[in-house]
Formats: sequence, C-alpha cells, structure tokens
Amino acid sequence: MIPQGLLYTNEHEWVKLDGAVGTVGITDHAQSALGDITFVELPPAGKALSKGDEACVVESCKAAASVYTPADGSVTEGNAAVDEDPSLVNSDPYGQGWLYKIAFTDAGALAGLMNAEQYAQFLEEQEH
Amino acid sequence: MTQKTILHDRHEQLGARIVDFHGWMLPVQYEGVLAEHKHCRTGVVVFDTGHMGQFLICGRGVAAELGSVCTQNAQALKVGRSRYGFLLNEQGGVLDDTILMRLGEEEFLLVVNAGTLESDLKWLMSHLTSAVALRDLTASGWAKIDLQGPRAYETLAPLVTAGDPGAMGYFGVGRYQCLGRDCIISRTGYTGELGYEIMADGEDLVAIFDKLMATDGVKPAGLGARDSLRMEMCYPLYGEELTPAHTPLEAGLDVFLPSDHEFVGWEALQAQAAQGVSRSLVAFQSASRRKTNPGDKILFEGNEVGVVTSGGFAPSLEVSAGLGYVAPHLTQPGRELIVNTGRAEIPVTVCEKPLYKQGTCRRKDVRG
Repeated sequence: MIPQGLLYTNEHEWVKLDGAVGTVGITDHAQSALGDITFVELPPAGKALSKGDEACVVESCKAAASVYTPADGSVTEGNAAVDEDPSLVNSDPYGQGWLYKIAFTDAGALAGLMNAEQYAQFLEEQEH
Repeated sequence: MTQKTILHDRHEQLGARIVDFHGWMLPVQYEGVLAEHKHCRTGVVVFDTGHMGQFLICGRGVAAELGSVCTQNAQALKVGRSRYGFLLNEQGGVLDDTILMRLGEEEFLLVVNAGTLESDLKWLMSHLTSAVALRDLTASGWAKIDLQGPRAYETLAPLVTAGDPGAMGYFGVGRYQCLGRDCIISRTGYTGELGYEIMADGEDLVAIFDKLMATDGVKPAGLGARDSLRMEMCYPLYGEELTPAHTPLEAGLDVFLPSDHEFVGWEALQAQAAQGVSRSLVAFQSASRRKTNPGDKILFEGNEVGVVTSGGFAPSLEVSAGLGYVAPHLTQPGRELIVNTGRAEIPVTVCEKPLYKQGTCRRKDVRG
C-alpha cells in the first residue's frame, strides 16, 4: 500500500528523490482524509522555498490543507495535470497526482524523513 | 452531549464519515461528496435528516395563532399543502427558517432546524395560547429522511402501501403508509431535485430506510453533498445566510413574506422595506475552482463591500461558487467583484439565482 523507495514526512507528504531533484506529493492516507480534491494551488517554477514553507494548498469539498517543503530548494515544475484535473491526487496520489518538483540545495537534509516501513508504523501509532 | 439519530448504526455499516453537526453525529459523506452530489442530480439519494425538529401543532384556532407567529399565512394554507417561511424576532431578524405543513383543518406540522429546535420551542410556547397543543414529535422518537433526485418518485412508489404521493405537486404533503407503516410524506427538499421528505416513527423509518438502501440505484448521501446541492440552488443555510441579525428582505426572500397578514416582525419589515435594505444576498461564481469561505471579504474597486456566507466548489458547475451579502447597488447579475480569502484574491461574478438551473424539483410529471 505504501510504496517503497519514497521518503515520507510527518505531514503526510512523500518525496521521490532523483539526484538532487525531488518530486513531492501527498500520501494515500492524506488524500483519503481530505476527500474529493477540487483545487490545487501549485508553486510557480523558480520559486525559492525554505524547509517548512507552505509549497501548495490542496482544497477538497470538505477542507483545505497546506503542503509543506521538506528541505530548502527551488521549484522546477508544478504538475499541470493536477491543475487541470485535481481528482488525480485522489485516484493516483503516488503517480499522476504528484504536486511539484524541487531542486534541493542539499538533498542530505532529507535524512530525517521516514521510509515506507517507518511511515506505516507512524500511521498506526497515529490511529491509536 | 452529542446525540445519535435512529439511523446511526446504519451509517457506520455503510462506512460513513461522521461529524458533529449542531450536537448531532451525522454522516458528512459515504463514498464521496462529488459522487453523492452527482447521484442526486442524476439518480436518487437518501439523506438522514433525523436531527431536524418536527412540531405537531393542533387545536381550535390554531391556524389564526400560527399565522400571527409564522410568516406563512397558516389560515390561507390549504390542507395538504406546505410553505416555506420564518420565525422572526420583533426586529424582523430570522430566528429560524421553517416549513409549515397543513395536515388537517386544525393540525399543522412545523419542520425546524436542529440548532434552533430548543429556542424555537421556547419561543413558540411563549407566543401560542393554551388553546393549542404543541408536541415535539422528534422528542418522542419521530425521525425523517429525505429521498431526493429525478428518480425519487419511481423509487418511492413501490414502497407506498396506502395513497399515491405522485398526486402531490411541489410542496404538497399528506399522510401515507410505506411498507404498511404510517408516515407523513411531503414533496419538498433541499437539493433542487424532485424529492420527498418522509417522516415516521423511528423504528418505522429504519425499515423504510433499509428498503430504500436495498433498492437498485439508491445511494446514501451526507451533509457534504447536501450543502453543495443547496448552495447551487441558492437555498439559505440557517446560521450562515440567515441569523437573528439578518432579515428575509436582506436575504432576498421577499416572496416568502405574504402581505396579507401580520406576524411577529412584520412592522420592522415594513419599515425596512420603506427605507431600503443596506445589504443584499447575492449568488456568485468564479471562473476558477478555487473556493471562497464564509467570512471572506468581498471587494469592489478595492473597497470592502460585503462578506461571503457560503462558499465552495459547485460540482454541477465545475467551478467555485457561493453566496454573500453585498451593498445593494452591487447586486446586478454580471457585476464583477473580488473575494479576498486572506491568501488569494478571487475574481467572481454576480449571477442570477439559482446558480444551477436544471433542477427537477418543480417537475409536473413526477414519473419523469
């Protein structure tokens, strides 16, 4: 259920690292909690973000949630497909529903994030 | 203390997400707000509305008494008909919005909101004389479900064992039997689609709900879809568009204020009508999907001119839409305004009400 090879944050974001560039999205748990997603505000390419900055806002029928930046970097691309069809975040959160790509200043700063097993454990603990 | 409706266990079995709504644990969604919304517009859905109050008001002279406390002209209301209206304070502010149903010459049912049930009850008791009897049916176990959608009649008809609700026009009401159980059915709702509200004793209502759920094509729907459906129809939500600080004139609901009788708040409304309102409720939609929120400021030429009362994604329109109060000179359809959400400025356009115009609620031939 939780894909291997990605890094996970406490805020239910995932990061897929390819060299120094990370692709960021929200987890299946997060999309399910939000419900039907109706709008995504994406960061413009070139935007400089610091760790903890709000990178995106995801709106659903019931709520709105911020997506935070996992480490300092510069946005390289927002996912135009989710701008067009926000329901991709619900239907394919780890695939076509990715949100943005960011070139990290130091990818080593992601060392504190969780792997799939740790995130599964984290979710389990949150439920209790 | 949060209360559970008689259908609570059913909602859990159906996998609903439950929220606290005015002290009631109610389903906000089952499979998802968008799917439930669309199914109501194209098929048929069932809402649990057991949190709403139902007051049975009977006795000699009851029509005259109700006519002096409700905006609805109870004396002019025919048996078997119902009408939307308000309980107002002396200043014309809205204490609640209600549907008054005439079941008999001297027998009325008043359906009220959950959050205002207790205050309505006290207010009515203080205004009605001892010649009439008021019974809170909800306190004695009566409940309600709303069956809504273009397929509502064909879904309901096979369950009805006495009477034919198909004979009722929009806002008709009567006593029927479903599955051999006594119930009151009105052709009313909060979605803009053809639909019926079914009121019955709790156990009977559970049996009717189960039968509906076992019917092909019927889906349950939650508060999320209920809100987006009513917003597209520009139906006010008590607590948002309507409060004791707002009058029905400001909300643009003049049509529900008959001039043929006097009721509490009537004088204040006459004065307001003569003077003109200082704000008016408008419907708006945006070109974007980004939503506005209750409390967001509405701007025109950089100046604050109003406030959003309801905002959200409108699934049938596929854009963000909402309702809000603005200065009266800015209410013409086509007027372009800005909503400031605090993090974005969203251009919106004032639109004619309702926003969704294909609703089936007034359909003459209920068989479709």
